[in-house]
Amino acid sequence: MIVNKELPKISVDNASIAYTNQDFAEPHLAVKDVTLEVSANEFLVVVGPSGCGKSSLLAAIAGFLTPQGGSIKLNGKQIEGPGADRGVVFQDYALLPWKTVLDNVGLGLKFRGMSKAERDKIAREHLALCGLADAEAKYPHQLSGGMRQRAAVARTLANQPEVMLMDEPFAAVDAQTRMTLQEELVRIWQQTEVTVFFVTHSVEEAIFLGDRVMVLSSGPGEIKAMVDIDIERKDRDLSSLNSNPRFQALRDEITRLVRQDAA
Amino acid sequence: MPVNKPFLHGQFAKRGIKAAKGITGIAVLFIAWQIGASVSGVSSYFFPAPVDVYNAFRDMMHKGILEVYLLDSLYRYVVGVFLGSLVGIGVALALGLNKAIAAVFAPLVGFFYAIVESAWLPVFVIWFGYGITTILTLLIFVVAFPILYNVLAGIQTLPIVYVNAARSLGATRWQILREVILPGVLPSIVTGFRIGAGFAFRGLIIAEAIAATSGIGFLIFDGAANKQTDRTIVGMIIMGLLWLIIELAYLRPFERATIQKWGLVTTAEQREVQ
Repeated sequence: MIVNKELPKISVDNASIAYTNQDFAEPHLAVKDVTLEVSANEFLVVVGPSGCGKSSLLAAIAGFLTPQGGSIKLNGKQIEGPGADRGVVFQDYALLPWKTVLDNVGLGLKFRGMSKAERDKIAREHLALCGLADAEAKYPHQLSGGMRQRAAVARTLANQPEVMLMDEPFAAVDAQTRMTLQEELVRIWQQTEVTVFFVTHSVEEAIFLGDRVMVLSSGPGEIKAMVDIDIERKDRDLSSLNSNPRFQALRDEITRLVRQDAA
Repeated sequence: MPVNKPFLHGQFAKRGIKAAKGITGIAVLFIAWQIGASVSGVSSYFFPAPVDVYNAFRDMMHKGILEVYLLDSLYRYVVGVFLGSLVGIGVALALGLNKAIAAVFAPLVGFFYAIVESAWLPVFVIWFGYGITTILTLLIFVVAFPILYNVLAGIQTLPIVYVNAARSLGATRWQILREVILPGVLPSIVTGFRIGAGFAFRGLIIAEAIAATSGIGFLIFDGAANKQTDRTIVGMIIMGLLWLIIELAYLRPFERATIQKWGLVTTAEQREVQ
């Protein structure tokens, strides 16, 4: 197979995404006419006010929702439903309570029919990568929120997806743990080939993590701005980032963009 | 892990104390019963004392009747509860996971649930005659419904995010059923089983009273009909003891090893307080 280096990993072309739930009698338009390309191994962060449809956009890339119009492609191929090439890290972890941490992390490999010994070996490597080597025999309810999210990241990465879709993954953990997880995520991302599509409502988190930050307007969400984060990775130190003038400028700019629309 | 040892010892000690308290309750009941029977002076036919019941028990053991009746009943009970559970879980999965099947059959399920087992029994006797087929059909009917309803509710409340997580990890429909849905509804299966297996005693007693010539249900009705009330009481006590054994020897350890270990339910002790 000839790999086209120019081919974007994810391409969203003029997509509109609607969803129904008990709050809306009619299908609710969450995202309108979004066009976007994410390159291989890029770290793209999406921010926007509550209800801007950022999670719906992620769900559509994951394959849980089908766009009403337009198209969403992975490696130039139309997305039809969920698949192992796009791993998802959910805000509420979604670890299976009836499986140990080790079995949760090896789950995707089990679905592929890999033997227990093989998948345990790979799962252990990813637990070590995510700093969870000692927790493999525990059940999810015995872990702290931060540890659960590490396990969820390990589970996604162990399955070797091309894209990791992260839906406000650190929103439910405390501030200290959150900073550690952010640093670890960047380290893990740099060690792998994975492309990250990360949704958050925190502007600071977006700037620390992202190569680019996409700002969505309030619902139905449209792309308001695409901001390049031109701070070198080596200069992104969480303990001093707040006093970096470039960080401050970006933070103010993106915060203004997000707030213009907030209800 | 050595750290766990003292904790486990403590738990065993606690269970021992709990068992002692439970046995005390039963002892008090028997003493009060014996005193009541002796003081009242009514006939053994009308109100047999524990001593009469014990003698009837020894008599039947000696003659070998009780062993045969008990084994017959246990066989019918175990097979009936097992088949009923399979039917209940199977129908619940079909209704809970397939909207088209649910739309057609869900009203029928409610309709049949309302027709109690004692109303079905005469019809089953006409169709299947006196014997094991009628008894098992009745037990399946009695056991399947509470499991069906509980598992259906369990499927509806299972967080969809578990299913989505599995799909994103590449699971097939069959793998989702086996790895996500079945373990996810296990708390509901256990709840439904607790009710269904309890109901199954009612079904068994009435079925054996009418459609059998052996078994604990037969013993209870046959004893009363032949003025051997002490035999009837033996049958009643055996029913109670059987349930305690099922509960303590099978259900509780199963819950501890699964849904309690997974953090899906509060402990049995906490549940009893509620």
